[in-house]
Amino acid sequence: MTHTLHRQGTVENLKEDYVLLLRTSRWVNHEGSERKMQQIWEVISHYEQDIVNFGNHYPNWGGGKLYDMEALKKAKSRIIHVVFKDREKLQACLKEIKESEFGISAVVSALCSETQKICSEIGLSPHTVNYSLGIHGKTDRVPEGEVLEIHTMCGHAMASSHLIDHMVAEIRKGKITCEAAAGKLAGMCDCGIFNTYRAEKLLRKMTSPHP
Amino acid sequence: MLIDKEKCIGCDECHPYCPVGAIRAVAGEGRSEIDQVECVECGCCHERSGVCPVDAIYMPKLEWPRCLREYFSNPNVKHPSTTGHGRGTEEMKTNDVTGRFTHGVVGVGIEMGRPGVGTSVRDMETVAMAIARLGVEFESQNPVAELIADTKTGKFDERVLNERFLSAILELKIPLAKLRDVLDAIREVAGKIDTAFSLDLISRVQPDGSTPALAIAREAGFAPRPNAKTNVGLGRPLFEEA
Repeated sequence: MTHTLHRQGTVENLKEDYVLLLRTSRWVNHEGSERKMQQIWEVISHYEQDIVNFGNHYPNWGGGKLYDMEALKKAKSRIIHVVFKDREKLQACLKEIKESEFGISAVVSALCSETQKICSEIGLSPHTVNYSLGIHGKTDRVPEGEVLEIHTMCGHAMASSHLIDHMVAEIRKGKITCEAAAGKLAGMCDCGIFNTYRAEKLLRKMTSPHP
Repeated sequence: MLIDKEKCIGCDECHPYCPVGAIRAVAGEGRSEIDQVECVECGCCHERSGVCPVDAIYMPKLEWPRCLREYFSNPNVKHPSTTGHGRGTEEMKTNDVTGRFTHGVVGVGIEMGRPGVGTSVRDMETVAMAIARLGVEFESQNPVAELIADTKTGKFDERVLNERFLSAILELKIPLAKLRDVLDAIREVAGKIDTAFSLDLISRVQPDGSTPALAIAREAGFAPRPNAKTNVGLGRPLFEEA
């Protein structure tokens, strides 16, 4: 699946959106990988204060306030997702993973220019790229602007555009804060790839009386 | 998904959770109902959100082909055909160890219904038939494969044509030399469907850092977005190309 691709946004705000994904291949190296995946979570936990969201393939229905890192260090994970808002932090984490030589495939989903910097600074060569060639067909049915930017943070479309509109209305009525609304939206995303930090900023912009 | 009309109190809290806008108030009855034609069985109004204050929303036992809606739309449900979660495959995420895409071979993913619009299987068939005539290979590990009755024509099993999914991926692996024709066919068929789709292009990176597929996409009039997914080659054992 391509759930971290097609994230919409401006170049400027995508500079605060980096997803690191690690996964085993069921055909090649999944068998015997359980301990390695736990060790990768251990490395990731060194950056816990810098992480915006994270998860494996188990659902995050607890309200979007992040998974339990300690539990993930002991869990059986075939996939790992971590969202950062700073390139330097992802880069440091990926460097540590590289140096540990776990042998698990790693994917960076981010601005191509930023991924190039990451690779060149830690001595990696991009192997394969999945490009987004945009949205086509009946595009008048697609949500627009900031709603689309927030909606595409969950590639499985679990954060409904109607729910985003609803949250905006609730924020304007003073019934919920931007931070809590971003957390509620993140809670819909099973994978932990929703960028709660960026969503909160976008919600603040959408509800600001002085945009 | 269904709403128990005896339990529902008509608070409308569940309405915004539906990605396809299938939940509506029933006029004059003080309750809500779910449009069964539009509902994609994604589970957003049910366990995922836990939004109903009186537990009026419930999932009935889904018979085939209705159950396909849940398999494709709810990422927490495994596809029986692939025993995996989600709509797709490992695609390029593990390409450093699988060698699925080698130099001269590219991947194209047509993510029907994405972002957040939903798709009918009939629209998927329209697109599949438009590209099948170019002699492309549909990815057999993608759960869409079991719905295609004839891979040579792209014709789907007629019994599933009226189903609707939040999204599903028509996944292809083609020689680089065919990419331009496939992209032209995709552009042409885009105007003949009632949904939107997001388009993926997967390519190996050349030793000099370039990807020839990207130039072909640009020539065909597609503008790549500035963000992408990059496999950085940490997987082992590394696939060795002949």
